[in-house]
Formats: sequence, C-alpha cells, structure tokens
Amino acid sequence: MSTEVAGSPPLLAVESVDVTLGRGWRANQVLSGVDLDVWPGEIVGLVGETGSGKTTLARTVVGLVNPRRGRIVFEGQPISALRRGARRAERRRGHVQLVFQDPLRSLDPDLTVAEIVAEGLRIRGETDRDEIRRQVTRALEQVGLDATMLERTPGQISGGQRQRVSIARALAVEPRLLICDEPVSALDASTRNHVLRLLDELRTSLGLAIVIISHDLSSLAGIADRVVVLYRGRIVEDGPVDRVFATPRHPYTALLMASAPSIRQHSVRHDRPFSVHQLRGASSGPPPAGPGGCVFADRCPFAADACAVQPPLEAVGERWSVACHRHEEWGALAQIATRQEGPAHAR
Amino acid sequence: MPDFGEVLRLDDLHVSVHNGAATAVRGVSLRVRPGEIVGLVGESGSGKTLTCRAVLGVLPPGCAVERGTVSFGGADVTSLSRRGWERLHGSELGAVFQDPASYLNPVLTVGGQLTEVLRVKLGLGRRAGHRRALELFEAVGLRQPEQVFHLIPAELSGGMLQRVMIAIAISCDPQLLVADEPTTALDVTIQAEVLELLRKLREERGMAVLFVSHDLAVITQLCDRIVVFYAGEIVESGPAEEITQQPRHPYTQALLRVASVGDFGRRELEVIAGQPPRVGADITGCRFAARCPAAVPECAAGPVRSVPVGDQHQARCVLAAREVVTT
Repeated sequence: MSTEVAGSPPLLAVESVDVTLGRGWRANQVLSGVDLDVWPGEIVGLVGETGSGKTTLARTVVGLVNPRRGRIVFEGQPISALRRGARRAERRRGHVQLVFQDPLRSLDPDLTVAEIVAEGLRIRGETDRDEIRRQVTRALEQVGLDATMLERTPGQISGGQRQRVSIARALAVEPRLLICDEPVSALDASTRNHVLRLLDELRTSLGLAIVIISHDLSSLAGIADRVVVLYRGRIVEDGPVDRVFATPRHPYTALLMASAPSIRQHSVRHDRPFSVHQLRGASSGPPPAGPGGCVFADRCPFAADACAVQPPLEAVGERWSVACHRHEEWGALAQIATRQEGPAHAR
Repeated sequence: MPDFGEVLRLDDLHVSVHNGAATAVRGVSLRVRPGEIVGLVGESGSGKTLTCRAVLGVLPPGCAVERGTVSFGGADVTSLSRRGWERLHGSELGAVFQDPASYLNPVLTVGGQLTEVLRVKLGLGRRAGHRRALELFEAVGLRQPEQVFHLIPAELSGGMLQRVMIAIAISCDPQLLVADEPTTALDVTIQAEVLELLRKLREERGMAVLFVSHDLAVITQLCDRIVVFYAGEIVESGPAEEITQQPRHPYTQALLRVASVGDFGRRELEVIAGQPPRVGADITGCRFAARCPAAVPECAAGPVRSVPVGDQHQARCVLAAREVVTT
C-alpha cells in the first residue's frame, strides 16, 4: 500500500497541464487540465484507450514534450520550467526513467545487455569501469537476472527477460520514479504476472514510485494502489484502486471494466452490476458534444443537457475524484436498464 | 466419429522451421465443424500461429509442412498449387490478422479495396460491387458506410480498420474465417465489440471461425471449443465450458491461474515457473514435465498420448490417462 505520510509533499506533481502537439491548423490539444500527484512508494495505474494522451503525459513528465500551460514539479523543483543546459542536466541525472512497451524495439539489437544497462550510467558521466560493472550487476540482480546475461544481445533472450533488461536499464541510474508505458501488453500471461510482481517488489525494496500505463485493468487491480482514468486528454476518474473497481463512479470506467475479457463465462457472471450494452452509447450515434462539453458525452448513454459543459474533477471520497455531472444518478439508471435487458441478452 | 460436416480437418500436422532444422508443430490433429468457433490458445512460440498459417497455405519462408494433412471441406489441400490456394483464399477461406493496417494498401480507399475483392472473386460489376461493399460495411458495424468507403486506411482508427478487414474476409461468404490475434492490438472496449461482431457473423452466416490468441480470457469469451497448445503440441482440447471449469492438463490449469479473472479484486499474481522449451527441442515424454508441479517419473518415460477424458474432451497427460484406466 501507499507509504504516503499525511502532509508530505508528493514526489511528482503534474499541475493543470495542457499539451498541444503540432502547430497551426494541425494543432491538436492532447492533454487538458491534467492534475496528477504521485507519492514515493506508490504504484499508480494510468488507464485509457489509444489516443487518450497516456503516452504524451509520460513524455511530458520526463521533459520530452513541453506543456503549453501548467507545470511539472519533481521533488519540489518545477522541472518543466528548466531550459537548455539546466534541463539537460536534470535529465542526465535520471531521477525519472521510462520503460517502454516493446523491448525488442526499444533496446538496441546490436548492444549486449551489459552495454544497454550501462548506457544510462555513462550518460550520467560515470567513467570508472569497475563502478559501472558493479552498478550493472546490481541492477540486473534487482530484476532477477544473473551475470550469464551480460554478454547476450536482446535477440538472444526471451521476451520476459528482455522486459526485465529494460527495467534494469532504468534502475541502473537509481531513479526515484519509474514510468512504465504498457510494460506487459506484449507479454504472455505468466510472463506478464512475473514482470508485474517484479515491479511490486521494487516498489517495496527501493521505495520507488511507479506509474504503470496500461489498458489492461485487471492486471492493474493486482498491484496498483491508485488508478487514474484518462479519456481524450482529461482525467475522468482518479481514486484508490479497490474502491474505483468496486464501484466505478464514471460511466467510462464502468465501460472499461465491463468490456474486459474474463475466463468466467458470461452465463455465470450476473454478479456484474451493469451489462456492457447499457454503458455503450446509443447505436444510432448521438450528436457529438460541442466544444467545451464533457469529453465523454458523445459516447455516454446517460448524457443530459448539463453535459454540454465540461464537468470539473470533483472529490467524491477520500482521495477519490470524478469528472461527471451525473455521477450520482447514472449507476441507478444503468442498473434498471440492465435488469430490463434480462439474462437472455447477457451474452 | 463421423467425418461428414467438417469444414477443416488437420491430421498429424508437422511443420518444420529454419529450412527443416527444427519441428515447431508436432502432430497437430483437430477438426472444425460448420458454424463452430474454435480457439487456439498458448504462449508465444507454442505453434498456434504456424498451425493457422499452414491452414491458410501461407507459411513463412523456410517453413514447410513436413508430415500430415490439411483437409478443407473434405478435400486434401496440403500440397495445393499456388493457383489452387488463390482460388480458396477469399471465397472459401477468409483471414484476419493482428495488424490490419499492414494488410491494406495505404494509398487506396478501403471501399475500393473491398470492391476489388468482390469484382475479382465474385465477378461483380462496378455498381453491384459498390452496393455489396456498403452492405458489408454495414454488416460489420461501420457507421456511415458511404463515408467510410472513400477513406484511406490512415484515416480510420484501429478498430474500424479491423472491421474493414473482417468485411473483406467475409465478403465472399467463406466457410471458415481464420482470425490470428485480431483483437490483441485493440482497446478493451473495441475488443469487446469485435468479439461480439464475430459471434454475430457466425450466427447470421453459419461461418466457422478458427480464432488464435495468447489470451485465454478472450478465447473463453468467444469460443465454443478450446484447443490448448504447448511447445508445438495440443495438450488439451474440449468444450470451452469444460476446459475452464474442469481443466485436466496441468498446463491448462496453470494458464487459468494466470489469466485475467475479471473480478478486479486484489490477489496474488500467479506465474508458471520455468521457461517453455526451445522451439524444436527434442524431449522424450511430456514436453511440459519440466515445469509441471504434478510431474511423476513416468512423464519422461516415453511419448504421452492424448486420451479422452470426457465427451469431446481430450488431454495429453500421464495423470489424466491413469484416471481413465482406473475408472
């Protein structure tokens, strides 16, 4: 669980960040008013569909993208305001590290594991060979790989080992925050759980804060403390993972959950409060929301007149907030509709 | 078992890789009946995709059917000529893959690409082809088909592209649709919609589907029958309900433990200890024995046969075979 001390400042604070990619007529607002705090030792799951801005948010945090408005504060220092040399120096320090989805494409196929893991140290300015060797071995040990891996190339090891190498590469520079962009979606179920367990252990043993970007909600349920749901560049729900998954307060979160595949047959799944059909927008396709409206309104079966205005992220519980005008009503509406639909259509 | 009414039948299929240096698929036998959705599940490298490619007659370079037969609608197609396969593709056999964008021409409209299939395969005229294309787009749940018709692949989302691919695959009413990880690259909400679409098409058209995925949860949602692959062999096959409720092979049991349960509860994340054997590794006896928690000395003694453990339910396990003998 989160080791947050009451009143302690967050490790990372993303403060009302807007990001626009492209210029002129191509300009596309990817993130709007995103607020996100991450405390040390916490695992935050960031969920959303393709194009919701998850990856852009990760890139903004590490400084690969500049926010148009708002700021990124890391350990009390506003790093998004840093420019040129100061920015480069901050990045070289490697306090924030990224781990990518597909290790086969994000690791250089011509380098050995030892060289890949040492790269961050060299960039930081480490020159002592023995010291580098020691750090590399330590990082590989932390992810459960032994020294026999050192001289192999990414093509010679399995998919799960590759993903562990890319985590070791990130750990070598002793980061405070790890951002994993879809770290397990290319992996088989067993390997996926292996990597997730590893991240969970690292959080405890190193006190790392970890942000896991994923579209697989059920694997997040296993390890995350908090879940943040992003939809078209806005946070629509942010709360403790067990409470959000027990009673989602935003219709989009509920839709994501109802859509997730499960090994239980539908016929024995009447425990789920809502059917997926009740959470999808009307099939005729409702009119798209005008500018300034709720981002989810055009897909939301519960959209009302009030939804022509973007709802603010409101607190609905302890450290739990939702951006929905109808967060108190839609659940009851969906339940009634699901009951009317009956078990015959449950499939 | 009567052999009439089979769309697809594989008998003792062996596929070699690396120009014959290793055998990646070893003795796969399975059948698909009309209107049935059969799911192949297994870890990467288990041979499910190669099996599927052998069914389509599109094995990658260096791979070949070493032994065994592929029969389609009762006719042996194992050594069919390229021409012969071309006749089957589209009209009898449809295919959908993981990455729809790489199977479509990026500079032609999606409508044009679908119409091309209709004109070549069914000999439809320009006008009739257009009409039929719109109907198909409608059938796969694309809204505003007239507008979608004139778009190029880059203008469509991943989910829409996969629907276009499905429309092309079913355009000539094939008897069998082969779907290799068609939803792996899609968002969960879109994935659920595509799975529903496949089930609807099966019901409307009586089309059989051979569905491949590494995700047991997806397979369970969709399929009537599940075939579990491990290291190039079928280790268990049977009705979906039975496989998930009463799995008999330890590997299937392990897969079920690591799969997404979908209850969103916090729980211990389980793993299967060890690594699968190298592709083509020579192992006497059970190929899963090294990772199996229930392994006994007998497992490594000799080849393990698949035994019936229920109605239409088979498992390749020494322990399951023992129970069959004693009862």
